[in-house]
Amino acid sequence: MGNSDGDRHNDDLSAEDSPWSEGSWSDDDDDEGSLSFEDSGDSGEGSDVESDEPDAAAAEESDSSEDEVAPRNTVGDVPLEWYKNEEHIGYDIAGSKIKKRDREGRIEAYLKNADDAKNWRKIYDEYNDEEVQITKEEAKIISRLLKGKTPHANVDPYPDYVDWFEYEGKGHPLSSAPEPKRRFVPSKWEQKKVVKLVRAIRKGWIKFDKPKEEPNFYLLWGDETDTADNKRQGLSYIPAPKPNLPGHEESYNPSVEYIPTQEEIDSYQLMYEEDRPKFIPRRFDCLRSVPAYEKALREGFDRCLDLYLCPRTRKKRINIDPESLKPKLPSKKDLRPYPRTCYLEFKGHNGPVKSLSVESTGQWIASGSSDGTIRVWEVETGRCIKIWNVGGVVHRIAWNPSPDRNILAAVVDHDLLLLNAGVGDEEIQMKTKGLLQIEELAPDEDTGDKKPAVKWVKHEQFNGIMLIHHKLSKKHSHHPFRKLPGLPIAAVFHPIQKMFFVATKKFVQVYDLQKAQIVKKLEPGVRELSSISIHPGGDNVIVGSKDGKLCWFDTDLSTRPYKTLKNHSKDITNVTFHRKYPLFASSSEDCTAYVFHGMVYSDLNQNPLIVPLEILRGHSSSDGRGVLDCKFHPKQPWLFTAGADSVVRLYCD
Amino acid sequence: MPKHYRPAGKKKEGNAAKYITRTKAVKYLQISLATFRKLCILKGVFPRDPKKKVEGNHKTYYHMKDIAFLFHDPLIAKFREIKVHRKKVKKAFAKKNKDLADRLLNRPPTYKLDRLILERYPTFVDALRDLDDCLTMVHLFAALPAVEGERVQVQRIHNCRRLSHEWQAYISRTHSLRKTFISVKGIYYQAEVQGQKITWLTPHALQQVLTDDVDFNVMLTFLEFYETLLGFINFKLYHSINVNYPPVLDPRLEALASELYALCRYMSSGRVPGNSEPAGLIEDREDENNKESSKADESELRLAQLQHQLPTNEPGTLMHLVQESTGVDAEDADAKECRSLFKNLKFYLSREVPRESLLFIIPAFGGTVSWEGEGAPFDETDEDITHQIVDRPTQSHVFLSREYVQPQWIFDCVNARIILPTEGYVVGRVPPPHLSPFVDNDAEGYVPEYAETIKRLQAAARSQVLPLPSIGDEDMENSLVEAIIDRSESNEVAEKKRKLEMLEKQYHDELKMECEGMTFSNRTVDNPPDVVDKNDSKSDDNHVEDSHKQAEKDAAGISKSLMSRRERGLLEAIEIHHERKREKVNLLKKRKKNADSSASAKGRR
Repeated sequence: MGNSDGDRHNDDLSAEDSPWSEGSWSDDDDDEGSLSFEDSGDSGEGSDVESDEPDAAAAEESDSSEDEVAPRNTVGDVPLEWYKNEEHIGYDIAGSKIKKRDREGRIEAYLKNADDAKNWRKIYDEYNDEEVQITKEEAKIISRLLKGKTPHANVDPYPDYVDWFEYEGKGHPLSSAPEPKRRFVPSKWEQKKVVKLVRAIRKGWIKFDKPKEEPNFYLLWGDETDTADNKRQGLSYIPAPKPNLPGHEESYNPSVEYIPTQEEIDSYQLMYEEDRPKFIPRRFDCLRSVPAYEKALREGFDRCLDLYLCPRTRKKRINIDPESLKPKLPSKKDLRPYPRTCYLEFKGHNGPVKSLSVESTGQWIASGSSDGTIRVWEVETGRCIKIWNVGGVVHRIAWNPSPDRNILAAVVDHDLLLLNAGVGDEEIQMKTKGLLQIEELAPDEDTGDKKPAVKWVKHEQFNGIMLIHHKLSKKHSHHPFRKLPGLPIAAVFHPIQKMFFVATKKFVQVYDLQKAQIVKKLEPGVRELSSISIHPGGDNVIVGSKDGKLCWFDTDLSTRPYKTLKNHSKDITNVTFHRKYPLFASSSEDCTAYVFHGMVYSDLNQNPLIVPLEILRGHSSSDGRGVLDCKFHPKQPWLFTAGADSVVRLYCD
Repeated sequence: MPKHYRPAGKKKEGNAAKYITRTKAVKYLQISLATFRKLCILKGVFPRDPKKKVEGNHKTYYHMKDIAFLFHDPLIAKFREIKVHRKKVKKAFAKKNKDLADRLLNRPPTYKLDRLILERYPTFVDALRDLDDCLTMVHLFAALPAVEGERVQVQRIHNCRRLSHEWQAYISRTHSLRKTFISVKGIYYQAEVQGQKITWLTPHALQQVLTDDVDFNVMLTFLEFYETLLGFINFKLYHSINVNYPPVLDPRLEALASELYALCRYMSSGRVPGNSEPAGLIEDREDENNKESSKADESELRLAQLQHQLPTNEPGTLMHLVQESTGVDAEDADAKECRSLFKNLKFYLSREVPRESLLFIIPAFGGTVSWEGEGAPFDETDEDITHQIVDRPTQSHVFLSREYVQPQWIFDCVNARIILPTEGYVVGRVPPPHLSPFVDNDAEGYVPEYAETIKRLQAAARSQVLPLPSIGDEDMENSLVEAIIDRSESNEVAEKKRKLEMLEKQYHDELKMECEGMTFSNRTVDNPPDVVDKNDSKSDDNHVEDSHKQAEKDAAGISKSLMSRRERGLLEAIEIHHERKREKVNLLKKRKKNADSSASAKGRR
């Protein structure tokens, strides 16, 4: 509303007010301009033109009505004459009267105008009863309007015509007149022209030139700059591997050593077709006698097939020194002493020596063989001291670990025999004899000795397999475990605590003897266990398996093996720790015994160090069996091995 | 259920989405299998190995991106067009519309492969890297019989011959041939172009028989690509030495099937346009006769070309082909060596030697060559000929001024990079063994006897040659460098001497041992009981030796038990590899020993 009003008033203004139109709005003030204001101020009521001027200017500036400053007066579009005689000119938004300003004296107003340079831009707003000053831009716009130009200077009133209407695809012809007939009839003139051309062609006046031959080859690769468009697009290109370069043997005249003999050529027939050499070298005396290679085309074809039919992949080819693969081991010299060479052979048995035991002082060893004898040998001389003919296969044999009781325990067929070894001092012999004789009377003389003089025994031949806890001193056995998950294979005592390790076929179970319950279960993850041994420290256990693997358990660390060593090609028959030296050994059916350095540190953070030291050979295989047992000397770094070749060997440093 | 089951309707992802079997690819592209093959060959798309073979193990898989790459190729549309065209022609013939058929046949749709080449080999070096197969194939087809009615078009074979000759001419011209080797399969060449070693095989110059066990469609598709590739490569190479590419050859020489020579001449003349016009006129008349046989339409161009070539027709001028130096500064020592190997030597080829390969090799190493036959640059009676290459049991007429050698001599000289003594290669003798230059004898572990001989000769030649340049006007730096080289060489020589001494010593020891053995065997006849003792001790020795060996083995193998399974497997694989290699070498040594002993036995007899 205000907008249209303003426009109208502006028009009026341009028509009426000469000073506006002719006055130069550009810069300096004139008195005329100011005078004219005075006039307007005088005849204020008569012309409501000027009152709307600022509004109009504001409307020019912004199209939206929100930007407009609301008039102070709220009386609306009423003739201001109505308030001519009133004290007020109207009401503000709150409803209170707006008082008329005090009229200034003419002289005062004149002086004020004369002082003020911007006076010419001031307009009296009668409607709101206030003076408004318009900006220079607004003034410019007003002057342009007065001149009849567009308000803004940069508007092009005569732009080029752009046809915005799209005719294509609209489906509606501009004209709906029917298609004229001539559009469907062949043009007569065209036909005449065609006839002319055809005639010319027929008479040979017009000759068709052959399709132009462009030069076949040109400089395809321009400058070799390393730009992005020089890179191959798409997937990574895998170049085909180049064919193998010919070696000496492919020569037409190779040296004699490259030509296979007739026997060798014949032997190729026996080979698998894949292994058979593809090319048999031949020798020609001179170049002229070399025939055409009959497979040339075939090989070229095969290469073509390889090129477009074979899947290509990038394969990493490692070119490493095999030595670098081997783990760095400490020098063996630093780890001495350990058994290295065979020092003695104890010969005498007639059958495989199945078991072996070293007396606790290390002076004697006892061996049990499948020929039904038990022999006791003196270690230093290799002399056989005693022979018992027990009349059955001796499966296991063990000395009493206590040095002052020379008692031997042996499993013969289904029985457990306790034998008086009858070696050593008179005194000890006497004692032992006494001990064994008063067996039935069960006196309690040895109770002072707290050391459990016990040995485990396996009764494989029985149907019900059970572990029997034998106590020699008390001369009775008891069965602590009624049930086991599988066949028990071997068992050992913990050297310090009252614990007991039982190896079944798959697992090793740790029992607490006092509580008679399972404490731990070790899982070696091998096929079938065959033997077990415990480190004198008690925290580490080694287990030998029938697939030739040796597992080292750190019982504090985990129930899984700390390290699994695969060194034997056949079953491991026995594993054993040395009681003093950091050594352990394994014997196997492949006629070898391995000696390892197995250092256990007291520092719990440091893992045990395992170094393979020596492969001990010497036993020969009989019946497919090799070394059946191995035991360390209790004091010296010596290893006894019992072989299936009925020999017991002693290996020393 | 298949191995990698994916329920129906589940979105494909991973390998199932990435890879596509061949059958599916063919279906996807809506083309026939033959077209697919052709497309794959031309575009260089090959199957890939997915990690998971979703559709089964016995299928070929293509990467989906490769297939999309084929899918967007304009060649597919072109192939369809060709198919349609073929049908149209057939139809026209069937309707006895000969006009239409002729018109259609006149303008068959064609396609070009230049875009593909640039796509596959964005840079020139890329193309050179993959050139081996291309050259081998082109040379193979060049050796096929150009007989009408065979499965291979005569024109293709001629084109292959032309391309191979152009390539050889370039190699020979720039002296970039490095190694050659006559094998049973053919002659191997190795050249070095822009730092890339390019090896190719040419069949022996005897006609191949087209066998039935190959699919010529596949081979011809490959050949199509290779022909284009070699053409562009030749263009680029010729451009690099400022010679016009499609070379216009001397029709006379061409008719005489000595294209290579014609090409060489073209290249030399292309650089130096002839200026003696009057000589051309005389020769022109001579050529007139030959020209009748050649095609008429090219005669004009050739005439112009001939006039340029004529000045070089005298024998002596051919030398300037060799002497003329182009960009010597850019060449390295290797190239220099090759360029001057046969310098100042003049060869004459007998009728029976393989002319093509020798015509290629001898100029490549700086020699001058002629042959028995028409169009040869000089006659057999030429006094300057230093070597005549002969491959016949006896030579009836002998010029004393020249040496008669077998063709193998050239090849061995080239590989050794020295002029070898000709004694071993004299006519009628069995030449010394021809060794492959591609084998690294040290890596192989066995050095054939003749290789050592050659090495010794090389060292000798070097020590002979080296003092010479120091006499000339060289600056300090050069002499210094040479001094260093000299020193290193002398070191080498010293080492060699030591080695030889060692060998000698070993030989003596062996001899001694052999002598002992002899006496021992003599003794066996005398007193048998002794023998038992000896044998016993021997077996004991053997035993001890065995145990020693065992101990060594143990020491080596003992740390194996601590290795992880994977590493152990790797180590064992390496050991097996080494073992095989050793066995091979041992076999060679054994054979050599046997051969030597039998030869010596024969000699004694």
